[in-house]
Amino acid sequence: MYNIIVCFKQILDIDQMKVDENTQEPIIKNLPYRLEDLSKNAIEEAVRIKEKYGGKIIGITFGGDQATLGMKEALAMGVDEGIILKGYKENNPELTSETLAKKISTLQYDIIVMGNQSADSYTGLVPGKVAKKLSLPLLGNAIKLEMVDRKVRITRTGEDKNFVLESSLPALVSVEQEINEPRLPPLIQIMAAGRKPMKIEEIQVSVKSTKKVIWNKAPKSDRKRIVFEDVDKGVAEIAKVLRGEAK
Amino acid sequence: MKAIIFSEKADLASQLLTLFRNTFEMDLFTSSNENVLNFGARNVYRLQGNNLYVDNISEKLSEMFKQGSYDLIIIGSSAMGREIASLLSEILHLEAITEVMKIEPKDGIVATERFFFGGKTVIREESEARIFTVLPGLTDPLPVDSISKEFKINVEKDSAIKVVDMIEKPKSSVNLEKADIIVSAGRGIGKKEGLAVVQQLADVLHGEVGGSRPVCLDYHWLSEERQVGLSGKRVKPKIYVAVGISGQVQHIAGMRGSRTVVAINKDKNAPIFNECDYGIVGDLYVVVPKLVESIKEKLGV
Repeated sequence: MYNIIVCFKQILDIDQMKVDENTQEPIIKNLPYRLEDLSKNAIEEAVRIKEKYGGKIIGITFGGDQATLGMKEALAMGVDEGIILKGYKENNPELTSETLAKKISTLQYDIIVMGNQSADSYTGLVPGKVAKKLSLPLLGNAIKLEMVDRKVRITRTGEDKNFVLESSLPALVSVEQEINEPRLPPLIQIMAAGRKPMKIEEIQVSVKSTKKVIWNKAPKSDRKRIVFEDVDKGVAEIAKVLRGEAK
Repeated sequence: MKAIIFSEKADLASQLLTLFRNTFEMDLFTSSNENVLNFGARNVYRLQGNNLYVDNISEKLSEMFKQGSYDLIIIGSSAMGREIASLLSEILHLEAITEVMKIEPKDGIVATERFFFGGKTVIREESEARIFTVLPGLTDPLPVDSISKEFKINVEKDSAIKVVDMIEKPKSSVNLEKADIIVSAGRGIGKKEGLAVVQQLADVLHGEVGGSRPVCLDYHWLSEERQVGLSGKRVKPKIYVAVGISGQVQHIAGMRGSRTVVAINKDKNAPIFNECDYGIVGDLYVVVPKLVESIKEKLGV
């Protein structure tokens, strides 16, 4: 039996994001949120640990009003209870890690699982910062995870070797996409998720972040964008270009 | 200003030393045993120990940072590099900014640029951060005439993590980052056998085959070393041909440095057509063989 904590986040759906052609700035208004990619892998892995070895999963997300939807998805995938921490203020690893660590320190746990880098901001700082704040061993970038005699063992990819690493519990594991294929919960579980416990809490933390955004713009794309719908004409033109470059 | 440069990879260490040699006075710390002595570091410290891992390396680096009165720490971006950065930022109570492409210090403030929103945008920030991870591939390593002084440093402290086993990976067969021509396959090929068509085009162009994230990581039709994207390889060939690739943000960020981009996709609304120089809307199984024939004909193969 293991007490499992999984941390995840919701992000703006970056694949639907458009860019303002005059300012080159992203248009965020009305953009839907979705569960972040590696967060799904983290939830899936937590559920697999529970299914294989037994235990209970607490899901924690640090988010705004939209976080309820993501939490419901996590509950439908197999998380047992949800805690939504309010007060998220855009990408700020200092604030996120401090908030998560403060909440986690009040809970009982053997293992914490989270994604190693989120698909929107790519900072990759949160797992290590939370681990250090809680004085836990950090097992990062796992592509495989198993529990062996009350220890956690992961496989991690290296440049020319993969490493099998082990540590005692409690420990924090960050996962990579390769670790699993997140499940799509069946409708019955989605319905049942509504009856699982879900708390919304506010946590007071004081962190100092000196980061100031100067600008955030899409790089100018000066591609020619000559697109042929007539295949033969396109082939003739493009073959010419490719031959020229390939010489 | 005095900087600690760290990378566990010799090649990336040499890139960072090349990139920052005119900005900072640099000492390199590395766990690599390969040559890094002629890239402009004042001192090179080789970290040694039986059980080197991110936790004890971070503690050693923070010790050296305080002793050597350094101003900042620049780390080569990798899974290990980001983990070390995150631990260092906690140990030293200094802010960290990861995956940067630019570091410009001025009056105690550091301006940085990095990808954001999965590579859709570039964000410029100013902060008092002192720890950075820097992306690979921003420059080629250029040697200098002088030779760094070399020291060995023992990391005595054991890691809390035990290495139970090491599994050799198949030797890497391709370096996409250095390829002049890349033909990449996306989900649109529909089946693994479809790679043969992509390979034919790559062959006739004397190029390498790459792939999108689904093709490499989800379906494993190609090895991960061929994945082009923000989380894979960032490539800059003369020609990049995207076959059956829709053009998700993180893929575009990986191939944005290409000189000429050609896209083949049956969906004329695919985002890749906004990021290409030339495109053909059509079934790749019709278009690519025609393209191969046409190129062969004119090359007289």
